[in-house]
Amino acid sequence: MDNTKSTSKKNQNSNLDQNIDVPKKGKGRFRDTLKILFSSKAATIGLILVLFWVFVALLAPYITSYSPMEQDWKAPNKGPSIAHPLGTDELGRDIWSRLAYGARIVLIVMPISEKLWIPGGTAIWGVIAALFCGASLGLISGYKGGWADEIIMRLLDAMMSIPVILLYLIIVAALGASAVNVVIAIAIVGTPGVARLVRSLTLDIRTRDYVRAAETRGETLLYILFMEILPNAKGPIIIDAMLRVGYAIFAMGTLGFLGLGMPPPSPDWGSMVAKGREFILIGNPWASLWPSLAIASLVVGLNLLADGLREESMRYQ
Amino acid sequence: MTLKIHPAVNDLKSDYDKGKMSRREFIRFATLLGLSATAAGQMAGFAFPTTASAGAIKRGGKIRIAAPVHKVTHPAQFSWICPSNQLRQVAEYMSYTDENNITHPYLLESWQPSADLKTWTLNVRKGIKFNNGDDFTADDVIFTFKQWLDKNVGSSMLGMLEGYLDANGIEKVSDSKVVLHLKTAEIGVPEHLFHYPALVLNHKTFEGDFIKAPHGTGPYLLKEFVEGERCVLVRRNDYRIKGADGKSLPYLDTVEFVDMGTETAPMIAAMQSGEIDMIDQGDMSGPEVYQALKGNPKVQIYPVATNQTRVLRMRADMKPWSDNRVRQALKLCQNREKILALAYFGEGMIGQDVHVSPKHPEYCPIETPKYDPEKAKKLLAEAGYPNGVDVNVAVGSGWKEIVRYAEILKEDALPAGFRINIQTMPNSQYWEKWTEVDLGITTWAHRPLGTMVLNLGYTSDSKGAPAPWNESKWVDKEFSELITKANGTLDVEERRKIFCQLEKIQQERGSAAIAFWINVWTIASKRVQGIVSHPSLYLKLEDFWVNA
Repeated sequence: MDNTKSTSKKNQNSNLDQNIDVPKKGKGRFRDTLKILFSSKAATIGLILVLFWVFVALLAPYITSYSPMEQDWKAPNKGPSIAHPLGTDELGRDIWSRLAYGARIVLIVMPISEKLWIPGGTAIWGVIAALFCGASLGLISGYKGGWADEIIMRLLDAMMSIPVILLYLIIVAALGASAVNVVIAIAIVGTPGVARLVRSLTLDIRTRDYVRAAETRGETLLYILFMEILPNAKGPIIIDAMLRVGYAIFAMGTLGFLGLGMPPPSPDWGSMVAKGREFILIGNPWASLWPSLAIASLVVGLNLLADGLREESMRYQ
Repeated sequence: MTLKIHPAVNDLKSDYDKGKMSRREFIRFATLLGLSATAAGQMAGFAFPTTASAGAIKRGGKIRIAAPVHKVTHPAQFSWICPSNQLRQVAEYMSYTDENNITHPYLLESWQPSADLKTWTLNVRKGIKFNNGDDFTADDVIFTFKQWLDKNVGSSMLGMLEGYLDANGIEKVSDSKVVLHLKTAEIGVPEHLFHYPALVLNHKTFEGDFIKAPHGTGPYLLKEFVEGERCVLVRRNDYRIKGADGKSLPYLDTVEFVDMGTETAPMIAAMQSGEIDMIDQGDMSGPEVYQALKGNPKVQIYPVATNQTRVLRMRADMKPWSDNRVRQALKLCQNREKILALAYFGEGMIGQDVHVSPKHPEYCPIETPKYDPEKAKKLLAEAGYPNGVDVNVAVGSGWKEIVRYAEILKEDALPAGFRINIQTMPNSQYWEKWTEVDLGITTWAHRPLGTMVLNLGYTSDSKGAPAPWNESKWVDKEFSELITKANGTLDVEERRKIFCQLEKIQQERGSAAIAFWINVWTIASKRVQGIVSHPSLYLKLEDFWVNA
């Protein structure tokens, strides 16, 4: 946000900003965004779904009556009841608590080790890392062109040719199952896509006058890439990132399901589905149904939100 | 010909008469010493029931069994039970250990150990033919033994035999007699001959790949074998053993093993729809299939208690487990009833941290330790960990009951100060480092004798280094000496006395925590008859027949 402001200020000063909209400041801009959001039904529904999980994750300790690890060995594999609104899993743990704390791992905190947790969910960190790597490569590739472009893009093409699930499995199987390695896997898998997007945006933006002006002023390469080009490409990148968070949650679910996510007994949604699945045939579908719904609702929410925003913002333009 | 009865049989008989030994134990030990099960049964005063009455049995028909069809070349290289369940119908073993852990002669007619248990005479059954027409003789027995003992073959039989037998200790006396000259006394020889890779090979035609020359003495012929797809067996018409109706076994015309992958859900669905008649669970862990099918009216379940267990083992040569107080503390953190109830749905027996199951003949009843995190905490503090200790436990994620065991332990050991981090890995990866990790949970298969397990897992070699399968590297001089003594002790009461000491030592200072022993199930459609569940889930398909 700050980058955009300073860039636009600079552009105004140099009277070279004919090609760019001058963003409104503060409240006005926020109101515009909300207007775009709520004028799309899809985006509104998406926002509600996403906000629901964000609040559940934030308030997990206050809206659950059990710890996600607490085992009631007299009541395993039970359906919904007053004591356990969504039922219990195979070790008698409350499924609602596990879902809520599982949402935290996805959206709010990332466990680096047993003791060290950092803010920002695992899926979010995965996408941030993918954005950082992808944007850097895409900017260099698009701005420099020539052999640098060729090398970077061909390497990334090669990576994209490997099926995504296979790539996840290779990476996590090689590195071992932990939150950090899941982030690394999401970043590696996401990088080529982000790089392609950023490169195509850069190819367009680098021909603009304000980039020429910066070059004439003798600005450094880093300044031009990150202060001139990147802020002006942010719209599509943000929408892409939102979709990517959805993919990342899906990837976490897949890895967890395959036993390569967070180590047990972490309330990892994917591994909850995998474990619960064993008990569907013996008459307890709840333990796998609820986490499946959780993954689906959050991913669908993010997709709706991103799609709605994109459509509406295009119409406004 | 009159056979000499081993002198110890008379002692066993007098023990039995005095009530020192159960009938089952008497038969077990008497058969081990070369008496036929029927003779031993008669001595013990009861007749063997016949398995089926002739009137009910129907001949013909086909059954389909879901089972992985692995790549197979040399039967001695088997490391899975399922391939042995397919090929044990074509080739056979020298002995047969039944569902009550009693070992009978099979391709052998009988065996006679010397009084010191160091010379074993194996009498080869006469008149048996391989399915290609070759006669079965002592040469086949010797050829098979030499394959096991050949390091280039890489059979797990080698680990079992090399402690007491060399290739030059095998002597051919005649076409029907082989004498084994052992390096040390060993009582388990007949049972080793029924270990699942111990199929007897045809010395004239076997060249390293059984599928190319499937010449065995068994009741079925190998018709088709496609790795990853199916294995089809058809009836052999001239099989030597007769069924209850007086005609040659087997009753069935065709048996088809279908590879349905590793997921159990499609197999369960196929059982429910009647598409398959049985699931071979020989290599499948966990009671999920049983849970899913136990109420199904089309399905019959044949449960059997086993000496199979999941061992939480601590490396006695690595910190913090080198301190016995830490090991004892972790053992005290097992809430055994809860572990059995949740990890294995209560389908088994409680363990007491000794690797001798209540179903082993030598078992000496011992107290079950209580869950006591307070005492564990004190022990940890005494060992120098007043603030608790961080440990990693390695588990194979494919063994669902082991993952649950680890999750329960993590929760219940926390109050004592153990902060357990569960490291999951694919089962194959666990097998790569099962002897290396400092804390891990390992599956141990069913073995009929307590001495077999203790010799494998808790002894050292002649130089004092841990045996290859001693995964916890726990070496205790007194324990090793007692095992050696037990290996050569026939009198069951004397043997049990030694086991009382062994169990006490293992419980008080051993490196293994054993919370439960598991049940297994043969699960089959009700149309399949003649099934007797074996604790190792070996299939004896010649006795099976189908009703309609």
